[in-house]
Amino acid sequence: MKRIFLLFLAFVLVFVFAGCAKKVVTAPVTQEAPKETAQKAAPVEQTPMKAEEPVTVAKAEPKKVETMPVKEVEAKSYQFGNILFDFDKYTIREDAKPTLKSVADWMIKNKDAKMILEGHCDERGTNEYNLALGEKRAKSARDYIASAGVTKNRLDTISYGEEKPLCKEQTEDCWQKNRRVQFVSGKAGK
Amino acid sequence: MKKSVGCQVSGVSKNGAKDFCASALLRFCSAALLLFTVYCLLSTVADAKIYIDITSPAIKKLPIAIQEFSGTEGKQIADIIRDDLEFAGFFLSIDRAAYIEKSTEAFNPKNWTVIGAEAVIKGTVHGEQNLTAVVSLYDTSEAREVLRKEYKGARASIRHLGHSIADDIYRHITGEKGIFRTKVAFVAEDEGKKGLYTMDWDGTDIKRLGIKGNFVLRPHWSQDGSRIVYSSERGGQWGIYLLDFTKMTEKKVFSSRGLNISGNFSPDGDEIMFSSSQDETYGLYNLRFSDSKVTRITSARWIEISPAVSPDGKLVAFVSDRGGTPQIYIMNRNGHDTRRLTFEGSYNTSPSWSPENKKIVFVGRVSGKHQIFIISPDGSALTQLTDKWNNEDPSFSPDGRFIIFSSDRNGGSGIYIMRANGESQKKITPPWLRAFGPRWSPN
Repeated sequence: MKRIFLLFLAFVLVFVFAGCAKKVVTAPVTQEAPKETAQKAAPVEQTPMKAEEPVTVAKAEPKKVETMPVKEVEAKSYQFGNILFDFDKYTIREDAKPTLKSVADWMIKNKDAKMILEGHCDERGTNEYNLALGEKRAKSARDYIASAGVTKNRLDTISYGEEKPLCKEQTEDCWQKNRRVQFVSGKAGK
Repeated sequence: MKKSVGCQVSGVSKNGAKDFCASALLRFCSAALLLFTVYCLLSTVADAKIYIDITSPAIKKLPIAIQEFSGTEGKQIADIIRDDLEFAGFFLSIDRAAYIEKSTEAFNPKNWTVIGAEAVIKGTVHGEQNLTAVVSLYDTSEAREVLRKEYKGARASIRHLGHSIADDIYRHITGEKGIFRTKVAFVAEDEGKKGLYTMDWDGTDIKRLGIKGNFVLRPHWSQDGSRIVYSSERGGQWGIYLLDFTKMTEKKVFSSRGLNISGNFSPDGDEIMFSSSQDETYGLYNLRFSDSKVTRITSARWIEISPAVSPDGKLVAFVSDRGGTPQIYIMNRNGHDTRRLTFEGSYNTSPSWSPENKKIVFVGRVSGKHQIFIISPDGSALTQLTDKWNNEDPSFSPDGRFIIFSSDRNGGSGIYIMRANGESQKKITPPWLRAFGPRWSPN
């Protein structure tokens, strides 16, 4: 039995070795052009321009690098100022309440208006958690406005985490400016 | 990226490269897959001598001579092999200036034992645009050739050719699969927009994937390496997208109001976990692709995010601030038996599992900076691996021996790799690219 097995094994080894030894590694040759292909194939909707977004950012391609559209965002005038948050927190501060009340009043007066609440963070968190934190900040603000009598379906939220800083220095002053909810009016909630 | 049927596993062939078995051989291979497996096992156990036991805690590096190959691009190929093996950390490559034997001369063990080489790699390359390399590995103490193999590849993908050779040599010497043909998917910044990119594990061959959206988060690979899943903000909504490398197509798999952030794939590739705030509460969800079924696993008034399914598919590590600060928790796939994993510090996020389910690598905040830690899933053996600047987005290499992460050290934002014990930290992305969120391909 053992001999038969060994014989069989030898046979297999010889056979397989012949196969393996001849085996040739071919490094992949064709380099894909992922850009074109992916875009063609992707059945995804176009990105509509957001209200506060500077037009210059949207045009794709040119091969320079990293100019964050910071100043242009700042230069846009908003009807309401930003409300600010403590580090790592999403509770509404006392100093935010007057702004939230005036947003609520304005929405009660302007019955057709909708509002997007954008949650933002400073850069000191990790990416995903910051997005969650930004979302929580926006939702806290939304809940506060809703509690003043505005229906929630007129209030939409989005988080940008640390992706859209107003200020890029590494100072507490700057970080505080970035820990905010911004109010963008007019766009319909989905 | 499909697996070849031979003893070695084929490289990353996201561009649909032909596999290397000739079709006849391929047919035979598939029929004899089982026998192949048997042979491969036998060859590692009985036939091949393991030169370096890389499972041993105290590893003596193997002195190896990697001679310039003769013929076309011979030096470049030998250099790629040398760099790969050196980075792996188990080899001590002997300076070529010390070599006595010329690359055109036949192997003579005496030429090598005198300079302390225990293994020698020699090779010849033929061809102009299509290269054929014949590579031999010699054992100097036994004075014999222990491996000889022929490789074919286009000159344009010479790095892949070199990595393939390095993989085989690594496997022969250590008995384990090499990672030199793996890739990294990551996020980088271009014109103020974030895009997805891929590169080889050593930072070469950087390619931008043409996907839309202003913001994109770090991708996760399916375990067969054919797809990645990631979140992107498009038109004011965070959606979850799936990119299939075999077809180079992208498809939206989930989006809703609120925040939707993808976690990783289940081992069989049919499911992903993700976090969403689509309802009033945060929750972790499971999405099954085969029937598009979305199942809610958790529901929380607090933050619950970054679910990471363990490689065996049994557990999920995730981040929650239910205790007041972000900490890492572990639960069963069905959401039961949740327990807190991290207790040190007030900010622990971004968990990711080692391939054998034995460790979790994550980011912890120390004195206001983010550092990389590993911990066992039972909460023991907490070890800090980095100590300067901010270090984020860690995950393991497919063999579990390395960790890839992003760091802002020296003012730039780039991607780094290090050994899983924190040694040999090295930047792999070029200085001009602001890069983050790396994920190592599984094959």
